Amino acid sequence: MEKNFNVNVEHVTRVEGHGNIVLNVEEGKVEKVQWQISEAPRFFEAMLRGRPYHELRAITSRICGICSIGHSLASLKATEDALDIDISEQSQIFRRLAINAENMQSHILHVGYLAVPDLFGFGSVFPLVGSKNQDTLLKIVELHRLSNEMSDLICGRTTHPIRLVVGGFSMFPTQKELTNIKEKLKKGLEKTEQVAEVIKKVAGNFPDFQRETEYIGLSSDEEYALYDGDIASTDTGKHIQYKDYKSIMQEYVVPHSTAKHAKHSRDSYMVGALARFNLNSSQLHPIAKEVANMFSLKPICYNPFMNNIAQLVEFVHNIEDSIKKIDELLSEGIYNEKPEEAEIKQGRGVGIVEVPRGILVHDYTLDKQGKCTKANCIIPTNQNHANIQKDMEKLVPKIINKPKEEIELNLEMLVRAYDPCISCSTHYLDVEFR
Amino acid sequence: MSKYNEVKTILKNDFNIFVDNLINSGEFEVIGVKSKSERFIFDKLENSNQLRLYYDVTILPPKKYFLPPVEMLINFDLKKSSKPKELIDKKPRIIIGVHPYDIVAIEQMDKVYLDSQKDDFYKKRRDNTIIIGSDIQNVSKRSFALSMGTNVVESGFDLLLTDIGNKYIITIGTKKGKNLIDQFASVRESKNSEIRKIYKTRNSAALQYKRKTNIQKEEWSKYLAANFDNTLWEERSNKCLECSSCTMVCPTCYCYDVQDSVSLNMSEGVRYRTWDGCLLRDFTKIGSGEIFRESKISRYRHRFYRKGNYLRERYGFVACVGCGRCGTACLPDIADPCEVINELSQFDKTEDTNKYIIKEKTKTPEKGTIHIPQNATIKQKKELTYRETLFEIELDNKKPLGHKPGQFVEVSIFGTGEAPISISSPPSDKPVFQLVVRKVGNVTSKLFTLKVGDKIGIRGPFGNGFDIKAMEGKDIIFVCAGLGVAPLRSLIKHVTNNKNRKRFKDLKILYGCREPNEAMFLDEFDGLKMLDDFTCKLTVDNCPKGECWEYDIGLITTLFPKIDFEKKKSKDTVAIICGPPIVYKFVIKSLKDLNIPDKNIFVSLERRMKCGVGKCGHCQINGVYVCKEGPVFRYDQVKELPEALE
Amino acid sequence: MKPRVAFFDFSSCEGCQLQIANLEEEILDLINLVDVVSFREVMKEHSEKYDIAIIEGSIMRPMDVERLKKIRKNAKILIALGACATIGGINKIRNQWPPHNVKREVYGDIDLEGNPYFDAFQTKAVDEVVKVDYYIHGCPINRDEFKRIITSIVLGKNPEIPTYPVCVECKKNENICLFELGKFCLGPITRAGCNAICPTNGSPCEGCRGILKKPQIECVMEILKRYELTYDEMKSRCKMYNYAKEEC
Repeated sequence: MEKNFNVNVEHVTRVEGHGNIVLNVEEGKVEKVQWQISEAPRFFEAMLRGRPYHELRAITSRICGICSIGHSLASLKATEDALDIDISEQSQIFRRLAINAENMQSHILHVGYLAVPDLFGFGSVFPLVGSKNQDTLLKIVELHRLSNEMSDLICGRTTHPIRLVVGGFSMFPTQKELTNIKEKLKKGLEKTEQVAEVIKKVAGNFPDFQRETEYIGLSSDEEYALYDGDIASTDTGKHIQYKDYKSIMQEYVVPHSTAKHAKHSRDSYMVGALARFNLNSSQLHPIAKEVANMFSLKPICYNPFMNNIAQLVEFVHNIEDSIKKIDELLSEGIYNEKPEEAEIKQGRGVGIVEVPRGILVHDYTLDKQGKCTKANCIIPTNQNHANIQKDMEKLVPKIINKPKEEIELNLEMLVRAYDPCISCSTHYLDVEFR
Repeated sequence: MSKYNEVKTILKNDFNIFVDNLINSGEFEVIGVKSKSERFIFDKLENSNQLRLYYDVTILPPKKYFLPPVEMLINFDLKKSSKPKELIDKKPRIIIGVHPYDIVAIEQMDKVYLDSQKDDFYKKRRDNTIIIGSDIQNVSKRSFALSMGTNVVESGFDLLLTDIGNKYIITIGTKKGKNLIDQFASVRESKNSEIRKIYKTRNSAALQYKRKTNIQKEEWSKYLAANFDNTLWEERSNKCLECSSCTMVCPTCYCYDVQDSVSLNMSEGVRYRTWDGCLLRDFTKIGSGEIFRESKISRYRHRFYRKGNYLRERYGFVACVGCGRCGTACLPDIADPCEVINELSQFDKTEDTNKYIIKEKTKTPEKGTIHIPQNATIKQKKELTYRETLFEIELDNKKPLGHKPGQFVEVSIFGTGEAPISISSPPSDKPVFQLVVRKVGNVTSKLFTLKVGDKIGIRGPFGNGFDIKAMEGKDIIFVCAGLGVAPLRSLIKHVTNNKNRKRFKDLKILYGCREPNEAMFLDEFDGLKMLDDFTCKLTVDNCPKGECWEYDIGLITTLFPKIDFEKKKSKDTVAIICGPPIVYKFVIKSLKDLNIPDKNIFVSLERRMKCGVGKCGHCQINGVYVCKEGPVFRYDQVKELPEALE
Repeated sequence: MKPRVAFFDFSSCEGCQLQIANLEEEILDLINLVDVVSFREVMKEHSEKYDIAIIEGSIMRPMDVERLKKIRKNAKILIALGACATIGGINKIRNQWPPHNVKREVYGDIDLEGNPYFDAFQTKAVDEVVKVDYYIHGCPINRDEFKRIITSIVLGKNPEIPTYPVCVECKKNENICLFELGKFCLGPITRAGCNAICPTNGSPCEGCRGILKKPQIECVMEILKRYELTYDEMKSRCKMYNYAKEEC
């Protein structure tokens, strides 16, 4: 083991966006360990200036390619909150299906393409082609395809969804199309269980690392909360005043990063699948619970690497939930409703949803012509940066005696486990336009 | 209603049962008019309740079932050497609810697509489709079908429905229609009082027409012919978005483009055709990038002339049925022929209506399906210049191509596409023929990468070829400019071979190109110089320093004073020109200076040729199809055509 | 030898690269066709030796310009992927204001002078910095178009992208024109190739594939009048993707 060495991973691979890991060790002592965000700021907040309320969704969707549905839904909820619009029951269900689809798509992409290769010791998913695990890879691909087909059907297009509009949907799928996708979801459930078996065999390659921290996410009495709920914390319980989210999600600027960090009752907290699991695991559907048991995942789990497994569990839950919701829709019939009309007025609205990576907040203020004058967003990955930093600070001393490549790999795996969406996280700051 | 047509009465309930029977029989794909939000479309019926026979007009006409917006033609495989598979759609269909104007439009399309070079794909769909028309109940506010006489029809349908309140009267048009009713419907004889109601329904619909044309449709051609340069074309086309929505929704528009698509595995592919529109800027663009109908005014105007003048003179019908779809579809509202013709009617008209088409019929033989290329092999490849190569091709069936000088073939390379190339070798009994190819676009570039022994596809020969009879007993001047030497070589070799030479008199060849490194076949010209009564003059526009050129230097027109020409023989002299468009104007002037009559001058014009059989629409010069009436033209026929030699 | 392909991203949401991941099973065909030597989002390996460089994202800072020029030098063929790269896309909305104004709005009065990460100038599309050989338009790209362009390049064929407007595809899909429903759609002046996906799903075209040609003012006034729309609405639509200094 060298007494002096540096680990400098510029632009960590297999994560969305650009981040660097810097580690300086001198005389066997950790001098510096930093998680740096170098993503180019795109000044999104400036772009919303003066835009009419019905364009906000399209613009904010472009913050992120993977969670564009999530941003769209948070944006729409905020706009509808500001204009006092109540969407129909049917739209409520379809929006939940949309969020399920996005969660599924993102989780299977992350677990399958981005995280699992580390478990097999590969640099990417491509070497699995032609290997004895090619079959598993193909199943993962099929599940990814299924998730995309579902969100294409509900939203018109997976990336930058077209059908999601203020007041509801511009178009709904037909009975036939929904029945079709339901059959595919049922088959997908079987495939997922098979994939889980394979991952179980290599899941031991995740480091056994624990660090107590706070977990924050949405929570609801009615269901495992993704689309709607109250902000909840494993430390302080439910917080009903959603417009006062800033008292929980306290952001602050950090010099070595173009993205902000956040804290609440401790120095940092975590959001995402693991946080949601820790808060709401009792509300998971049955097969999802079984999968959790398979991996001995129980609340409260303090191992950030298990976020990957929590994602797998949520994936299963989302399929089960979608099948249930589609049955509900089919029994009532689909109506070709038009979106609810908006009466344009001044107001402030806050929309909070759970996207694959954690809790997302959009906060808009509109003037009396319905144009945006003030916008704020809290991005899930922003809220995780501090936690990642703290995890690194605790992990490094434990692995300091390992070879440099292994330290590098472990730090990268740690970052990947959080499934960061760095592009999103650098674009939203508190801003006021006049 | 013709007294020859049988009629039956059916109760509305029984009609619904009839439709459901058709659907449930599983024998047909049953299409009907359904609602789509506030509008209507033709679509697959799942049950009779979805029918909306009271509709005013559909977004797209039923032409989409005979010439689909996207139609797969041929499946091919680039890796396996399997035979390309034709994808003709043979599915039996029934279309319910076709209005009279759409029925008329289908009949018009038949005249074009089922001519002597019939389109097999269209034919199969047409043969396998049963048309159940329906009389109009609600007139669309943009429709002027009454003025066009297309609001009622007496034929063109297998069955026709007239809604007389609580029942339908079914007029039987064909045996097919009769069989359908006998098999699936419960009908009874119609009472006279019911038959009278047919007229009532039709008349009350006729009263709804708000839009009318000021002139009869037979007169359209006369007003159009007289107003080609009228300022109204510019005023109106100023607002044109060049979006071609008007042609897309039109029941009498049917231009298409053909493309090749290859899947990501680089193996399977498909050749398909899709609707194209003459309003689009690149509609007439060829591989070298030249666009033949470039200005917005000319494209906007072309559509009206095609409808009211060109097709009228060619086939005898005005290609507009007054459905009003284009009026609805055009955002700045300039597409409505009713408005245009009413505006035109204030100006003069003329009886001279066929100056934009060529009346002479060319006999084009039917040769198998028009879409599938024959297999052929590259036998020889010889580089002629830095950008032209001679290919010797042999058809795999070892039969001669059977072409005439001046004709062209469509060279097909699956995965890349097709390109029209003039044939450079004279007619022969042998199965080989030669093409001179210049590398300009995708297909020609791909062709250059192929080797002797590689396979390509050949469709054709197409076009009319040179009028050899008109040259017999006369002196001939061949004017070859640049690549124009390629098709003329075919004629020259034909005319100068031993068998034919004595049919023609004195021969002169004038050949010019830009620089010495572009000159082709010099050795062959040298050989010809040894013949009797033969003059051959060669020139380049300019000879760069250091390059060797033993002949003349100067533009091709500078050769005219150098030939021995007696003006008194001009009436018995035929001149043939082939070259880039810019050359024609100047060469023709030189020929006129020699007093050669217009009808003795022949030109070969190039346009974008896709189908080769006068259907896809890309090669039109005004009302003339270059692939059918050309590419060889008599100067007197084209000199008045505004788009020909500009 | 298979052409070597490398993916690069600048300022973007990475949604276009995601579309390539969304080729699902066809990714296997893709990696049979070309050698992917660098694709940061899905693989660890990276190589500086590539024939084809695919660029997603707009160019915002001097450090981006340097990086892009280096890539252009290494690559034989450079493809701009997605609206941010082909026309600047959404990122160009902020060009309505000078950079210092925008920075102040976002970061307040913190002194960011000399910090290369924040040194942003007006957003540029890729072809405003280096020569682009092929464009794959859209926000996000259309996967079928991506496949067609890649197969064309490998076949040695010039992949022609449509020079006609979205209306052609919209009509082939038999959509009801959104103008008839009181919406302002940029379809008539936007490049086709997306199969009119937004109008087909009930949403007006936003012009994400680039404007073809500015229509003449008489045309615009006629349309606004006929469908009772306002000039402001139209201007607002035009500014989303196709912001340019001249008035639309």
